[in-house]
Amino acid sequence: MLVIHEDQINPFFEEIGKAAVLFDVRDDVVPFKQYFIPPVEEILTVNKRGKIFHPMSSGKFVLHGLSLPDLEALTQLDHIMSKPEKDYFYLRRRKKALVIGITEEKLDAMPGGDIVFQSVGDGQYKVWSRGLKGRNTIKNNSRFFRDVEDTGIEYEPPQIPEGDTMEGWSHLMRKLLLDPGHLAEIVDWSRDHDIWNELGERCIGCGICTYVCPLCFCFSVEDRIGLNDVRSRFRRWDACTLPGFAKIAGGHNFRPTLKERYYNWFYHKFVRGYLEYGKSLCVGCGRCKELCPASINIQEVLRLISVDFKKNA
Amino acid sequence: MHNIYLPHRAQVIEVEQLSPTVRLLRLENRGMPHDDRKLFFIPGQFVIAGDIGFGEAPFSMLSSPYQKKFIELAVRKAGIVTGHLFSLQKGDTVTLRGPYGNGFPIDFMKDRDIVMASGGCGIPPIISLAEYIIENRKRFGNIFLLYGAKTPDELLMKDRLERLQRHDVSILTTIDEPFPGWNGHVGFVTDLIEKITINEANSVAVVCGPGPMFKAFEKTVKPFGISDRRIFISMERKMQCGVGKCQHCTTGSKYVCTDGPVFTYDQIRNNWD
Repeated sequence: MLVIHEDQINPFFEEIGKAAVLFDVRDDVVPFKQYFIPPVEEILTVNKRGKIFHPMSSGKFVLHGLSLPDLEALTQLDHIMSKPEKDYFYLRRRKKALVIGITEEKLDAMPGGDIVFQSVGDGQYKVWSRGLKGRNTIKNNSRFFRDVEDTGIEYEPPQIPEGDTMEGWSHLMRKLLLDPGHLAEIVDWSRDHDIWNELGERCIGCGICTYVCPLCFCFSVEDRIGLNDVRSRFRRWDACTLPGFAKIAGGHNFRPTLKERYYNWFYHKFVRGYLEYGKSLCVGCGRCKELCPASINIQEVLRLISVDFKKNA
Repeated sequence: MHNIYLPHRAQVIEVEQLSPTVRLLRLENRGMPHDDRKLFFIPGQFVIAGDIGFGEAPFSMLSSPYQKKFIELAVRKAGIVTGHLFSLQKGDTVTLRGPYGNGFPIDFMKDRDIVMASGGCGIPPIISLAEYIIENRKRFGNIFLLYGAKTPDELLMKDRLERLQRHDVSILTTIDEPFPGWNGHVGFVTDLIEKITINEANSVAVVCGPGPMFKAFEKTVKPFGISDRRIFISMERKMQCGVGKCQHCTTGSKYVCTDGPVFTYDQIRNNWD
């Protein structure tokens, strides 16, 4: 088993940082998706002769510190963006990136990314790698790693704290997400449930939940004409809870109320996403619950619907 | 890797004023491959047209898919993109992507009677379909086209409708309210149903109208007694990417851009949005 000592992690990053830009995502409020789908991104521009072309690609970069939910979200995003048609801009950035995860939890398999450091106690991390990019990085920097039969350390992953903590919430949410088919069934069933009226009142439609969700990827396309007549096309993050999301020229809005738009957010995450990919578009990271100004807790919403579903259906 | 968001340019070869707010743009056909049937697209499919600096929007093709030299789009002045397209002259260029979407299931329609219903500016894909049908007229049953608008001016492309009529397509038009000089039927498209008889067991219905009129069309087509699976509706939604990524055009569990824009009625009957 390949291990790395925590003292060697920073020198390792210094070494791979010589050829790429390093980002540590552990303290970011906005999830890692911003490195692959930036909040605003120029996608096309026109030169003086009128030829349309897309901007140059970014350079190589390394993302470090993704958690288990984030790694899973990345795997799902890769799947979503590669299904026909392939999203050119996402995949172009994805190709340039080396993604490194870190976790205290026990792993049985590689959850996603190129390299994962899994804590095995006493400052040692077991090293998982996947794909050519991950394996080659390890091979070319072998001096930072040690190959051992057994670390000889008895390691117990940290206990999940009881009560209303982020870790506890995330743990329970990930348990719920083990049965995405059930979640799809109950969210679809709950369309006329009173809770959506309630949430429509409570939600202020700010869109924060979608911006901080690692699996919200919807965007709108926007054109600009500069003062010097430079024309370009941008895409920027959109949020399905915002009023103009389904509004067309002429003024008709296909989802005019916040209740409809909020339900659509859930519907996409748990029903449409499940029908398309067999998984909920949620990894239980807890960001939406943590940062919602109206303190909406999606786990509680799902629980409530689930209880009523069992009673009535 | 192919960049799906990169459009190509097409020149406007002719502009025709169809009504005070609607213009027809005839665009040179470049960059659109044809399939085994020598079709450049299937009637009911759409392109995303616009210009850089103004944005883009989806438009169903109006011309016959057999037309090799050009494609036609009808543009109603409503917002920024359509406002720009409306102002274009012969020789200007637009950007195009596509064709996208599924189109009408024309093979399924063979040997059946077809009732097409359309209101206002929902006529383009219907004309395209009808012009496909008259090229293969013997393979289809009786064809009816019910078409309604607010005023006689807004009944678009009367010359093309007359040509369809010459090829054994029954055209029934109506306007919403009495209008000086109009001798035809007055009322909604709904009323025209009573004027035709079809064999509902071997018929299909094709519906295209603006989004808000969707409910009204339930009244138009449902009374025929055609099964929900043989009613084809071309849907309209806000659309940005056209390829199933941006999430704007969803209706229930379907994407209008990739699963549609043509749906059978039973696919969308229970959708809340």
